[in-house]
Amino acid sequence: MADEHMSKKVEDMIKAKGLAISPDRIADVVKQVMATMQGGPGDSSGGSASPKGGLDARKDYPLANKRPDLVQSASGLKLEDITLDKVVDGNLTFDDIKIKPETLEYQAQIAESAGRPRLAANLRRAAELTRIPDERVLEIYNALRPYRSTKQELLDLAGELESKYEASVCAALVREAAEVYEGRDRLRK
Amino acid sequence: MNISEEMVKQIIIEVLDQMHVTEGIGLNPDEDVPPVDMTETEEAKPGTDRNEVVIGVSPAFGNMMTKTIIGIPHREVLRELKAGIEEEGLHPRLVKVYRTADVGFIAHEVAKLSGSGIGIGILSRGTTVIHQKNLAPLQNLELFSQSPLVDLETFRSIGRNAAKYAKGESPSPVPVRNDPMARPRYQGLAALLHNKEVQSVDQGKKTMEISR
Amino acid sequence: MSKRQKRFQVLSERPVNKDGFIKEWVEVGLVAMDSPYDPKPGIKIENGKVVELDGKPRQEFDMIDTWIADHCIDTKVAAEAMAIDSVEYARMLVDINVPRSRIVQMSVGMTPAKIVDVLKRMNMVELMMAMQKLRARRTPSIQAHVTNLKDTPALLAADAAEGAFRGFTELETPVGVGRYAPMNALSILVGSQIGRPGVLTQCAVEEALELTMGMRGLTAYAETVSVYGTEQVFVDGDDTPWSKAFLASAYASRGVKMRFTSGTGSEVQMGYAERKSMLYLEIRCVMLTKGAGVQGLQNGSISCIGVPGAVPSGIRAVLAENVATVLMDMEVASGNDQTFTHSPIRNTARMLMQFLPGTDFIFSGFSAVPNYDNMFAGSTHDTDDYDDYLVLQRDFQIDGGLRPVSEEDVIAVRNKAARALQEVFEELRLPPITDEEVEAVTYAHGSKDVPDRNVPEDLRAIDEFMKRGGNGLDVVRALAKHGFSDVAGAVLNMLKQKVSGDYLQTSAIFDDDFVVLSAVNDPNDYQGPGTGYRLEGERWEMLKNIPQAISPEDV
Repeated sequence: MADEHMSKKVEDMIKAKGLAISPDRIADVVKQVMATMQGGPGDSSGGSASPKGGLDARKDYPLANKRPDLVQSASGLKLEDITLDKVVDGNLTFDDIKIKPETLEYQAQIAESAGRPRLAANLRRAAELTRIPDERVLEIYNALRPYRSTKQELLDLAGELESKYEASVCAALVREAAEVYEGRDRLRK
Repeated sequence: MNISEEMVKQIIIEVLDQMHVTEGIGLNPDEDVPPVDMTETEEAKPGTDRNEVVIGVSPAFGNMMTKTIIGIPHREVLRELKAGIEEEGLHPRLVKVYRTADVGFIAHEVAKLSGSGIGIGILSRGTTVIHQKNLAPLQNLELFSQSPLVDLETFRSIGRNAAKYAKGESPSPVPVRNDPMARPRYQGLAALLHNKEVQSVDQGKKTMEISR
Repeated sequence: MSKRQKRFQVLSERPVNKDGFIKEWVEVGLVAMDSPYDPKPGIKIENGKVVELDGKPRQEFDMIDTWIADHCIDTKVAAEAMAIDSVEYARMLVDINVPRSRIVQMSVGMTPAKIVDVLKRMNMVELMMAMQKLRARRTPSIQAHVTNLKDTPALLAADAAEGAFRGFTELETPVGVGRYAPMNALSILVGSQIGRPGVLTQCAVEEALELTMGMRGLTAYAETVSVYGTEQVFVDGDDTPWSKAFLASAYASRGVKMRFTSGTGSEVQMGYAERKSMLYLEIRCVMLTKGAGVQGLQNGSISCIGVPGAVPSGIRAVLAENVATVLMDMEVASGNDQTFTHSPIRNTARMLMQFLPGTDFIFSGFSAVPNYDNMFAGSTHDTDDYDDYLVLQRDFQIDGGLRPVSEEDVIAVRNKAARALQEVFEELRLPPITDEEVEAVTYAHGSKDVPDRNVPEDLRAIDEFMKRGGNGLDVVRALAKHGFSDVAGAVLNMLKQKVSGDYLQTSAIFDDDFVVLSAVNDPNDYQGPGTGYRLEGERWEMLKNIPQAISPEDV
């Protein structure tokens, strides 16, 4: 079923219910619905348009099954190269089974294409954090807990995130926290 | 918030009545348990005595409220905790925390005040935590979260174990008890009691030393 | 009364009268879904920024208001969404002709008070209808608690194996003694993959330790990431919306699935409900979770269920909060995980609210151990209720996530799990699991049937394991080395999921072949009769075939 046809039907139904919603919005919604529904063979017209040229939830997900070509571990191994034999022979370290920032970006695009921009934003913050060692991530988390840091310490932390780890989205989150904690008296005294 | 002492009491009595908690656990809500002498001497300071364990009580403990959720008088709670610590040859020190009614934070605060680094935090209703100063606030060495199951014997064991941790030993944790039916029976009441406790919280007030 | 009327005497001794009931007390927020102090819905937006939320100007915002205003609410649709009459929107929730996508697009334009205003107009059946239509994943599922009073590792492994084998897709272990956590995590990781490869495991402990275990591959997902509806309680929980949002990203950065946890009653339980209704505060939790970009939420009062359970309309509020979660297009792990009543009648009735419509996880902790062993202080249903549950599925033709199993098969998977863990312990230099323990846990009902362990020695050993950087790969290696290469393969496969990140999407679980099933490739398409998930075909054949049913050929 073509999107336009669907839009018309939906518009009629909404009118019949006495609701007023712009036809443009209806068309948008219909597009979204069609995109998120499991597509049958005759249904390909709705799914081809993926936003911003990113991955498409319907065609590319799950990555492990549909796009294994895109997936590599942090150390550059492909999924098929992560084998039991290698583990037993001691040829695989924990870094070989860590996620790569690019993969999180792909998952962010899939979340976006499935209509979940906030989840996508979280995955993009996560992509930045892959560059930071476990201990430092834990320290930063603890620094963000109430009464742990002064405003300057939080601002310095934001600076470090930006300069040392290229984590500008996370840095913005920390700066925002510094402002809010100051206003709500949740900084270290 | 504008709630009179009387109103709280009335509701608690009503709830107790509905819950039949008087059966078999020795609590008589009409019987007033006398307050404990909680005379404050000075602001509590970090101790230097490696042989001390600090007991931190919650804001309403001992005077505003005088017994645990199952009716154990607070003076007996303190007696058992102290006896447990002394049995191991260590010294109990008592302080009162005002800035929070969260048992984890109370225990962590007093662990930091303790010369041995070990503290015990306790709420009026009986919830208790053994803490160590170098752990995160909401971690713990031992946690007794189900206040209706903490009896006098448990309090003594808590004192004893806290002292053992202070001596650098690794004691077997006090056996954890579990009663799936404590929640349906007591959780509503626990909420009432906690709201009463919170009325005594003073976020600006320092932790105070209690005279022995 | 000196002389009792005999019927009243009998009634007074019924289990339900052992429950604690309390009258509403709005001054401290002991009220389920309608406090006179709840704000009225409203929003003001200037230059794309929320400047007033539910009657409160920005300069008076607390941390939670600020987070919701800046990270959850979609200011582009807010005007349109807030203009929809609450009754009209409530009707859209139950109208099979209004698609789910339309509803979730509008919900993020609404304020917390608006959502409460919508939900409080819905009765129980309408709320169930909304759940059936709005939950994110098409296929319903179920999670279990695996825990015991003594934290005995071999018993945890055996119970995890049996639970996974029976059909739970997620297993959660809490701890009796906090420092046991990594050993518990390791035990259920091994056990789960023996029961059924692809089952996700987690260990519920303090936030930083939980994250560490996830980073090391000892757990596959996390859930005990608690959020609260008032700022004071949030801070008492030692977090802020910013620290929790950072934590959410930290989990995803290690490829670990995660959901937040919240629930009605927690704020009043912790003494700072600010006179607001439990549901209003819970909606704030749901919206701040959405704003943090977290894929899902465990709610349905959870550990505070005794509080809403004690006040009028409290259990309805519990379903309403589950619905709020799916309304925000998130995975819901819908509670049913803590005892709240002495009455078997109340207990089952409360469970039907999620069982009938189906949710992403109908239980976020069916007790896969006897309740006396459940260190979450007991779940609504435990191992002794398995057969009742299977019969309910069969009676109603509803997929509650469990399947009938044979005693022989269960003995076999329990035994294998205990033996496998025995080898892992030896290889990892953890205190030995004796043959006597293996035998005991294989046939045990619970921890009363198994020998005690030397607790201080266990704790010392697991501390050392963590200190020397022990991780999931060590477990894989140990299993493979000792002849459990199938289990080693499954554990490795679980670790590999963190590389592709597919299970970071909303409502993700795995099938036996580690193929992810989430709201992205298994979206709920319910639009009335003939659509959505239906228990039929092979699966129905399996679920209806309970061993105790007599077949015509046998008589």
